[in-house]
Amino acid sequence: MQEYVLLMVGAALVNNVILARFLGLCSFMGVTTRVDTALGMGLATTFVITVSSMLNWAAQHYLLEPFGLGYLRTVVFILMIAAAVQFTEMTVRKVSPPLFQMLGIYLPLITTNCAVLGVALLLIEGRMTFIESTVFAFASSVGYSLVMVIFAGLRERLALAQVPRLFAGPPIGFITASLLALAFMGFSGISTV
Amino acid sequence: MFDTDERLETGSTELVEGTARVVEVTGAVAWLEPEATTSCGGCAASGACGAKGIGTIANRVAARRFPLRDHPELRVGDRVVVGVRGDALVKAALTAYAMPLVTLFLGGGLAQWAWGTDATTIAASVGGLLFGLVLARLGAGRLFASGASAPRFLRRVGQAPQTCQII
Repeated sequence: MQEYVLLMVGAALVNNVILARFLGLCSFMGVTTRVDTALGMGLATTFVITVSSMLNWAAQHYLLEPFGLGYLRTVVFILMIAAAVQFTEMTVRKVSPPLFQMLGIYLPLITTNCAVLGVALLLIEGRMTFIESTVFAFASSVGYSLVMVIFAGLRERLALAQVPRLFAGPPIGFITASLLALAFMGFSGISTV
Repeated sequence: MFDTDERLETGSTELVEGTARVVEVTGAVAWLEPEATTSCGGCAASGACGAKGIGTIANRVAARRFPLRDHPELRVGDRVVVGVRGDALVKAALTAYAMPLVTLFLGGGLAQWAWGTDATTIAASVGGLLFGLVLARLGAGRLFASGASAPRFLRRVGQAPQTCQII
């Protein structure tokens, strides 16, 4: 059990997808103008990263490795991610059409989120078991969502703050992001996973 | 269905805003399609955007067409700003995404603890995911039964917002 906890802490906080690995920066800057939308995007991404990591793990261990097709890994993973997004979209649409109208906006955006592919490649490099890879992917995406929500909260406050004209808008956003990354460096050493 | 004035009277609830275009009007019901956006939020420049193709939603907006009742003043081609309650958005996201993930991990964790093989863990995880989706369907039915989480008309594009909320 302890190894799973360390795995989660390492993936979510120490090696945070956004602030330590610099993945998913596009949505980090683009969808963090409000906490509500950041949380919605974070939850959708969490779902897709977890499901696609399961698919990618299965593809790697039951298709690519046995048949010596490792050189096709990136292409296969991208296809798997697109399939996972499509599956999620279809499922949400079937489960609840009103829910789909509300949340459907986030789903296609996730396909081009490099964090999804990055996490899939990282868990294969880590030679993890199925449950470890699923926990790792979930924790990574929880870390992604956490940073998205924190940053959205900061940006909501920044929108009301008096910022020097030269720093208004994206510049103060990037400065805030760098300070947030420095704060997350404080987690270094807790876990090496 | 609330309109802007009712919201101002009743509420402290902040709305998440989005832009949509009227594509059909039948009586007092206007059918809207949300405007395509990319992950960078630069929907207005999507014609020159490198994220076109599999990542765009332009080819799927028709699937997200939604009605707006009691607004006979709207005409086909109008661009309007609609809002969804922020707390409803969060509840919907939790219902659709968090609930299936919880059951997925419950199933997978139990199978890993009981048998400890990858094949059984995969099967149990998939079973948990499907069970969670069924639960999500039930939860979504309750969530939307009141209709309070439906999109609301706020203003036409170009009009100044009537609130001081952060956009």
